[in-house]
Amino acid sequence: MWKQIGGREAGQIRPNSFSNRVKSNRVSSLQLSNYKDIVSPHRGSINSLQVDLTEGRYLLSGASDASVAVYDVQRATDYEGDGLIAKHKSIVVVDKQHEQGHKYAVSSAIWYPIDTGLFITGSYDHYVKVWDTNSTQVVMNFKMPGKVYRTAMSSLATSHMLIAAGTEDVQVRLCDIASGAFAHTLSGHRDGIMTVEWSTSSEWVLVTGGCDGAIRFWDIRRAGCFRVLDQSQSQLGRRPPLLERSALNKVSTSKSSSGGQNLSAKSRPQQRKSTNGNGIKQSPIGRIPAKASVRQRLHPGMLSGQDRATAHYGAVTGLKVTDDGMYLLSAGSDSRIRLWDVQSGCNTLVNFETVRLQTSKAIQLATSQDPALVFVPCMTAVKAFDVWSGKTHMAFRGHYEYVNCCWFSSQDQELYTGGSDRKILVWSPSRLISDELVDHLVSVAFYFTFHFNFYLCALKL
Amino acid sequence: MSIWNYVVTAHKPTNVTHSCVGNFTAPQELNLIVAKCTRIEIHLLTPQGLQPMLDVPIYGRIATLELFRPHGEAQDFLFIATERYKFCVLQWDAETSELITRAMGDVSDRIGRPTDNGQIGIIDPDCRLIGLHLYDGLFKVIPFDNKGQLKEAFNIRLEELQVLDIKFLYGCSKPTIVVLYQDKDFVEGPWTQNNLDNGADLLIPVPPPLCGVLIIGEETIVYCSANAFKAIPIRPSITKAYGRVDADGSRYLLGDHAGLLHLLVITHEKEKVTGLKIELLGETSIASTISYLDNAVVYIGSSYGDSQLIKLNLQPDAKGSYVEVLERYVNLGPIVDFCVVDLERQGQGQVVTCSGAYKDGSLRIVRNGIGINEQASVELQGIKGMWSLRSSTDDPFDTFLVVSFISETRILAMNLEDELEETEIEGFCSQAQTLFCHDAVYNQLVQVTSSSVRLVSSTTREMRYEWHAPQGYSLNVATANATQVLLATGGGHLVYLEIGDGTLTEVKHEQLEYEISCLDINPIGDNPISSQLAAVGMWTDISVRIFSLPDLNLITKENLGGEIIPRSVLLCAFEGISYLLCALGDGHLLNFLLNMSTGELTDRKKVSLGTQPITLRTFSSKNTTHVFAASDRPTVIYSSNKKLLYSNVNLKEVSHMCPFNSAAFPDSLAIAKEGELTIGTIDDIQKLHIRSIPLGEHARRICHQEQSRTFAICSLKNQSNAEESEMHFIRLLDDQTFDFISTYPLDTFEYGCSILSCSFSDDTNVYYCVGTAYVLPEENEPTKGRILVFIVEDGKLQLIVEKETKGAVYSLNAFNGKLLAAINQKIQLYKWMLRDDGTRELQSECGHHGHILALFVQTRGDFIVVGDLMKSFSLLIYKHEEGAIEERARDYNANWMSAVEILDDDIYLGAENNFNLFTVRKNSEGATDEERGRLEVVGEYHLGEFVNRFRHGSLVMRLPDSDVGQIPTVIFGTVNGVIGVIASLPHEQYVFLEKLQTNLRKVIKGVGGLNHEQWRSFNNEKKTVDAKNFLDGDLIESFLDLNRIRMDEISKAMSVSVEELCKRVEELTRLH
Repeated sequence: MWKQIGGREAGQIRPNSFSNRVKSNRVSSLQLSNYKDIVSPHRGSINSLQVDLTEGRYLLSGASDASVAVYDVQRATDYEGDGLIAKHKSIVVVDKQHEQGHKYAVSSAIWYPIDTGLFITGSYDHYVKVWDTNSTQVVMNFKMPGKVYRTAMSSLATSHMLIAAGTEDVQVRLCDIASGAFAHTLSGHRDGIMTVEWSTSSEWVLVTGGCDGAIRFWDIRRAGCFRVLDQSQSQLGRRPPLLERSALNKVSTSKSSSGGQNLSAKSRPQQRKSTNGNGIKQSPIGRIPAKASVRQRLHPGMLSGQDRATAHYGAVTGLKVTDDGMYLLSAGSDSRIRLWDVQSGCNTLVNFETVRLQTSKAIQLATSQDPALVFVPCMTAVKAFDVWSGKTHMAFRGHYEYVNCCWFSSQDQELYTGGSDRKILVWSPSRLISDELVDHLVSVAFYFTFHFNFYLCALKL
Repeated sequence: MSIWNYVVTAHKPTNVTHSCVGNFTAPQELNLIVAKCTRIEIHLLTPQGLQPMLDVPIYGRIATLELFRPHGEAQDFLFIATERYKFCVLQWDAETSELITRAMGDVSDRIGRPTDNGQIGIIDPDCRLIGLHLYDGLFKVIPFDNKGQLKEAFNIRLEELQVLDIKFLYGCSKPTIVVLYQDKDFVEGPWTQNNLDNGADLLIPVPPPLCGVLIIGEETIVYCSANAFKAIPIRPSITKAYGRVDADGSRYLLGDHAGLLHLLVITHEKEKVTGLKIELLGETSIASTISYLDNAVVYIGSSYGDSQLIKLNLQPDAKGSYVEVLERYVNLGPIVDFCVVDLERQGQGQVVTCSGAYKDGSLRIVRNGIGINEQASVELQGIKGMWSLRSSTDDPFDTFLVVSFISETRILAMNLEDELEETEIEGFCSQAQTLFCHDAVYNQLVQVTSSSVRLVSSTTREMRYEWHAPQGYSLNVATANATQVLLATGGGHLVYLEIGDGTLTEVKHEQLEYEISCLDINPIGDNPISSQLAAVGMWTDISVRIFSLPDLNLITKENLGGEIIPRSVLLCAFEGISYLLCALGDGHLLNFLLNMSTGELTDRKKVSLGTQPITLRTFSSKNTTHVFAASDRPTVIYSSNKKLLYSNVNLKEVSHMCPFNSAAFPDSLAIAKEGELTIGTIDDIQKLHIRSIPLGEHARRICHQEQSRTFAICSLKNQSNAEESEMHFIRLLDDQTFDFISTYPLDTFEYGCSILSCSFSDDTNVYYCVGTAYVLPEENEPTKGRILVFIVEDGKLQLIVEKETKGAVYSLNAFNGKLLAAINQKIQLYKWMLRDDGTRELQSECGHHGHILALFVQTRGDFIVVGDLMKSFSLLIYKHEEGAIEERARDYNANWMSAVEILDDDIYLGAENNFNLFTVRKNSEGATDEERGRLEVVGEYHLGEFVNRFRHGSLVMRLPDSDVGQIPTVIFGTVNGVIGVIASLPHEQYVFLEKLQTNLRKVIKGVGGLNHEQWRSFNNEKKTVDAKNFLDGDLIESFLDLNRIRMDEISKAMSVSVEELCKRVEELTRLH
């Protein structure tokens, strides 16, 4: 560390690569936090976790007991163990007792992306509610046709305030906070919609995953979906094998070393360019990697051959777009994680070493950029896979029941996980307690007894 | 201090990041273009060396600098891309000597992750397209159309994620890139090369006829092309830069991390490559760029040492080196640490920086103003004037020094023992005050007293002629040059005499309406011994007039305004431009551009130099003429880039000055001050004076101890032969000679991290405290360190106390007579205890956890401000009663800090990882705990520089009577070698200057059309917001460089007179 600080000081290490290296080191040392503890008030399984996007300070959790809670993850409410263990108690709780509260399980709780004055919850009681954080009053109610599985808002949006909601119903609904009404319904899925996710590169693009195994891309300014991911479409724009080509070149062209083309083969014109990196904006319709059906482009969402494509066998239970906006990760009830190239819509065929995933419930994935990892709830553990190789990088075992959701705070390099055991665990970079060794031992011992006691309490309940 | 801050550069960036050579300013002219992070310099290659043509700021950190020549153009265009994703194409306008923007644009994307290894920008050798690698996995292409115009950019996917280098290949019918990247073995193109050297990170495309590419690794160099593959092993080294020697690409210069320069030769038979050869040429500064200019002259741009202009000789010198350094260009970067000291105890701060890295490490003493190095001095009271005279007209040296007193004149001369001794010139009148003296033609000397003008032979020293003032009039003011004398008597009579061989002829006599206060006929025209113009300053109507000589016709009259009479006028020429300088009795100086043929005065500017009357004198140093303004604040006026600059002299008060270039004291000045006559030499004329102390090792931390008059530094030395063997030392240096006087070696793997000079309560001694860390290769984070307490005894470092810590001691501060250390994530307070046996120890008192890494700590009273690795500021307080440290408030933003400083009780200044500055304010009056616990961000600004250190202090002499003297300042040092000043302004002044800045933005357009407002907007991964509560002093001070029309424009928009604007801006330039 000191060496890297020295390198940064002397201009040998670029500041951004310095911070990436530090982050990467810290992420690699994630473990159950020995200094931070979130005290969950929930009496049901935790279904959703999110830290606000503006300050990275407030964690929002939604649970099956119809409760929602907010914690300040930066500032502890009190300390234990000689000030070494910070306890973060909820600073806001809304539960069934609240007159406007949800009746059944809260499946999704998200922050309004612009500030922490509002948050949005979706519940199995068929409602999506918008809450004022300070007064904990509902400011808006959207009645859905069925259980709400997931809600999402675009973090990029500057020109709309839409909540995308995935429900038992086959249609995706966009709830407009500005007007309090449904702005659109997006039709295409053949079964309930387990998961919704906005693009991180365009505020108009929404990705949804359904129980029908399909992942659909929507440009909400246009009718119909513009892409359905197909797990069997997997060329990923792989350049043709080099040796063949250079051999070919030698035959076809003269000896001059000019035959090579770095760009791409003719068969993939759709991948060649995207103007200013925002090709989707231009005409997403033209981008469907369809080989045959050029003729009937009228309603791409309805293209028969395309439309039946599936991304997973079984339901799509989780979606996550990487922060750079170039890849999409999906989890399915087939216990697979797939990595998709967003631009081409191709399956990259990275083999993630998952063993089993929950099948009955939507799961919330998280990603980190440095190193490129995806955090996946795998039954009672959370596993971190390398995005490019699919290899297991780390496994986080601490929950006693299934893990439903996880959130990675890139600001603090901390991972929050919530499970059916009603607990929210914090996984943080290991911190050396630089004090006298005794202190250290005491604190660790203290922590473990505490943790154990807590679990016993939970069992009794 | 306040929240309204003014940021200005005192020393421009000197770290050379890019350089290129081409025909930019004209088809036949060869130019070297150098990028110094946020500035570009254009030089012209002449037989005499490099001649600077332009030095301009760029509103961005330069990521790419490339010259290219579109089809059908006779000269090159310059392509610049900045780190914030702006690009521009510049062309030289020969008429105005300015840069024209051919194209500009934004190449940022919504998608993609910014590259880790830095941005890459390349131009196809056939000028078909520009390629940019800005984001991982994307290659942006900006194509040229047939007319050489840029078309819309688009992205191509790159599957290689960890790209190290990309280059265009020569001789391909379609633009072809070669990509060097990590992990996977794959190079796309006509051929592929797998399994390269591990450390390969540089590609060199080889131009036709050979074509292909060179891949420079740490242990091998490989040439490959479609049909050839050659490799040679090299001594392990990291090649940092290359420069192509021949147009056909058969020879290259390679500069490595140790500063060794190699020549790489591709041997070939016609177009067939037969092998590679490498040869060591010699040692230079550690190169970041190499540009081969012409005739074996090479420019070595360096980030870690001084940049150099070198010549490659055909024959090695005695040491076997082919490298001959022709010129060095000072580079302060990287300034890792510095301290502000007042070594001469004059009340003026000097900055001592730890500059450079590796073998090029050095200490630099940076001082504002020009120093006078005293050679001799005599006590003499009441000097009224001084002139030096030669013993004959063609003698190159001055012999006599005429010193005039109220009722006598004494003459000093150098005797045979090179001592200054009183002598006599018989022909001179010594019983009267001399008004003026000068050498004249025909080996004569002129002396003017109130009654007469005497002409004396300089050889016989006898009077040859005397001209008497008219009856009833006495001479008041006089001036002369080698052939002319101009006199003013009471009653406004102006008399013009011409000097002949043993005679003085009264040529013209004119009566003016008022009394004359000052005169000058310094010859600045084509004739070096006579002048065609005379400048006259007047009483009563407060004007300066220009008369023609010899007919004494009034050409121009310029009313000065105000009530202060001109006390001294001077005609002078700098860099071929003629000026009239006019000094007033209240310390102000007016300058005008003087048209030599018409006598017209234009471009009036007024500056305040001091508060007392000024006397102007010219002198020359290094064959250039400068003006010395003697007053209570002596100043040297000189010109650089055709702009007048004022540099103060490190003397308190000077009443008179005259150049005295004697054989014993060449290029010296005689200076009359405070009852003393001093002879001294003058430093190089520049605003900042920099002295280098090469260390040959890398100094990381420095501090000064007033009591022992020493500096202590933490440094590291790289062992040249063995790899990874660094030695770390604590060194003690004398603060005058900068010699190492004592050294304390640290243990193996032990690094010096922080150093402090302090004293403790109940102990009168002053100690050096050093914090260290044991950096073990297998450990991610140091888990062990030491605090060492030294005392300086007999010029030796004596270890008094040693305290082991559980981590790296990143920072040390004196705190209430105790020692406050930042150790990894903890803040720890130590008491200084006296043991029973009389020895001392550091005893831990209390601590505070809860930081990621407490890298930077500053204290004030009981408050502790911590700058965290990644969690911005937190404010802690020490509670005496409880003996505990508690957190008071925090900034919840995720800023990765690089330096912090406390401006005042409530406002703290920070610099962060993305080159921004920001201020936060303590909110003690907040209504809720939440509000009180939050440090509110009050100021934000993009500096574009990585700040390593802030220190309170000032580079200039603080005069208590000036407004500027009251403005508190903080100095900062950056990686690029910038020394900057942050000044806290009163609100009224801030508002005024903010308005000026807004107006200047409209008038001064950034090079390449880059926007100033965008450039200064605070920018990090999460947000971009407009700068607030910070002003760009560099922009504001560029007001003074504007021409009159633009000044008027601004003056109109501001509804403030140009003069007032100039005055207020000039005042600000006094801050640095």
